[in-house]
Amino acid sequence: MKTFEGYRRANGSIGVRNHVIVINTVGELAGLTKKMAQLVPGVIPVAHQAGKAQYPEDLEQTIRTLRGTAGHPNVSAALFLGMGEGDPAEEIVSALKKDGHHVHAITFQKGQSISVVLNEGKLWLEKAMERSRNEQKETADITELTIGLECGGSDAWSGITANPAIGVCSDAVVRDGGTSILAETTEAIGAEHILANRAVNPGVGEKFLKIVKDYEMRIRDTGEDIRSANPTPGNMAGGLTTLEEKSLGCIKKGGNSPLMEVVAYAQKPAEKGFIFMDTPGYDVESVAGLAAGGAQIVLFSTGKGSPTGSPIVPVIKIGTNPKLYEIMSEHIDVNAGKIIDGLNTIEEIGEEIYRKVIEAANGVPTAAEKHNNQEFAIWRLAETI
Amino acid sequence: MLEYSFEGFIREDGTVGIRNHIGIICSVVCSSVVAKEISDKVPGTVPFVHGNGCAQLGDDFKLTKNMLVGISSNPNLHSALLVGLGCETNQISGLLESIPDTKPVKGIGIQQMAGGENTIKKGVEIAEQWAREAAGQERQRMPLSSLTVGILTADLDEDSLFKVAPVIGEAVDRLVHNGANVIMGLSKTLEPAGGLLSERSAREEVKNRLRVMGEGLQRKRWKEISTEAPAYQGFSEKERSQAVLEAEMTGTSPIKSLLGYSEIPAERGVHLITVPGNIVEALSNMASSGCNIVMIVSSRGVLTGSAALPCMTITPKNQDDYFDELVDFRVGEGEVSDQAEAVIADLLEICSGKQTSLEKLELGEFSIPHIGTTF
Repeated sequence: MKTFEGYRRANGSIGVRNHVIVINTVGELAGLTKKMAQLVPGVIPVAHQAGKAQYPEDLEQTIRTLRGTAGHPNVSAALFLGMGEGDPAEEIVSALKKDGHHVHAITFQKGQSISVVLNEGKLWLEKAMERSRNEQKETADITELTIGLECGGSDAWSGITANPAIGVCSDAVVRDGGTSILAETTEAIGAEHILANRAVNPGVGEKFLKIVKDYEMRIRDTGEDIRSANPTPGNMAGGLTTLEEKSLGCIKKGGNSPLMEVVAYAQKPAEKGFIFMDTPGYDVESVAGLAAGGAQIVLFSTGKGSPTGSPIVPVIKIGTNPKLYEIMSEHIDVNAGKIIDGLNTIEEIGEEIYRKVIEAANGVPTAAEKHNNQEFAIWRLAETI
Repeated sequence: MLEYSFEGFIREDGTVGIRNHIGIICSVVCSSVVAKEISDKVPGTVPFVHGNGCAQLGDDFKLTKNMLVGISSNPNLHSALLVGLGCETNQISGLLESIPDTKPVKGIGIQQMAGGENTIKKGVEIAEQWAREAAGQERQRMPLSSLTVGILTADLDEDSLFKVAPVIGEAVDRLVHNGANVIMGLSKTLEPAGGLLSERSAREEVKNRLRVMGEGLQRKRWKEISTEAPAYQGFSEKERSQAVLEAEMTGTSPIKSLLGYSEIPAERGVHLITVPGNIVEALSNMASSGCNIVMIVSSRGVLTGSAALPCMTITPKNQDDYFDELVDFRVGEGEVSDQAEAVIADLLEICSGKQTSLEKLELGEFSIPHIGTTF
């Protein structure tokens, strides 16, 4: 049985990192969120521009993402900054507290001075950092691990090397009792029948087909063709010709395990095993959704090379071709290009990825972590009002 | 009438900046951390990072691209370094083609440079060179006709409006009379005054749009979630009376145009501009439409400014305890004309280099609105 050393949270979940974060509920506070984080070394700012002037369903998704981000098992403590009356910060914090999370909300009210608020936050964060330093690791089973599957800057090798190798790892994690979440609905378009056939029951299959169809409809309603933006210019330079071709390669990351459940963006799965999450093909937003849905580690294949990471989860980069590894090794954790050179089989690279997962779970920093790549963005469903 | 002037930085196309920022601008969220790191390493640079740039379609994508073109062109920027990833929808080459040739502009990409480390190294090299050039440039005395002033209202209650609006209106009239451009944010709270404002426009198209808005026709809504909302909704008496007060801030001169996203005024005078409900996005749009400075008129002060523009915060005087350290100017009980004169004096000092409260606190952000979903 595979195990790793992680941080046990009060609600029973297990984290592979022990972050202390500051996070804002509305865009107006993004600047102060960064300022607040700078006051205490080691604190990570999770700043964004969402949370204001959004339509209801869009706002609901934003709040679900913020809650999932702050309540993530990799987070030891989270400080929320909110603005004025009716701000969701207090509500999110009280829900997270009930679930045993170490969280605190500071809501700016009329009459407060910034320096007083910054000082209050600083004191809370200093204590939270000290508390996190004293938290001990314990041994956890792979059944408690959830990985997310993502690709960014795909090329023609993605579906031949890195993605099938990720699929091998995903199947192995599922076989060992863990959970693996495939994301990016855009990149299921044209390959949806294959995944739907793997659904554990007709209900799950239908739900999956529905989210893909809704996705296409939503795009068509705007009068646009998804194929005009996807494949992207970089995908085409990398040798991909159509979205269908990209999708067929993309879903290889999901291996061959049965599809157990389909979840919304930033929603935590109820089942274990192989899961699909409804996210956009936009990497940073998709990774934020996977993390907010509870994935502790994200696997990310890239053909063109992308430095992006996450403020919450270690992101493991798998390069699709040998040339990429040669020129951009600083951003790559696993070189799946070795498959092309005949040095390794897909199976062997899959095993190497699994070893990297355990290594990262035990605390070894990934390439993105070494470079402090903490890009963050929330999937927006509609215009700013 | 006094002869107003300020000291600014003249650009190659004759436009004038009141700051000499070197903009480090990411084309896509994937290069945001790299862009920020370049900026962190070179004093005098300002990072323009945002969450957009890829997996966008149609008008939503065009808005992102146009806003980055507008920001790069803003006269407050001495120069602009565009930092891309390489495979994104929003290609650096497309941005470079669209940015007018008025200042030093360059583009670099992480994939083209073979990694973040090289990109940061190259970016720092370029930015340091520009920072030296910018430091050697001196301010020159400029007439008001080279200034564009934005006005944005934020959480204004009726009492505050009553005190502040006449002063701002008088100041706007004087600014416009002296040749400045004034761009007022067309906030939701101003919409009910559309009928009144329409009478001040000579252009039929502007007149009609303002009239329709004043009647309370709802903005286009995202249909899937707003099916219950009525297609037509009027305004209450209170909304109308507050809007009339807010409209007073535009002064009395003709309304020249209604500007959309990243639209630069074609003639000088008073204009209205589309602003989303997110204050950072509203300020970003004003910056990409060529504003040099924004007067934020508020009951309480705001907690963020713009990365590109000094924001002069104006509140009524009787609320000393409200975010005191954020306020630049307090409107008191004195004569309207004296206070308007004082507003202009303070505004021009800021234009000539005096830091605003938000600048001192280093609270300046940038963000691009969405008019659709990402895919």
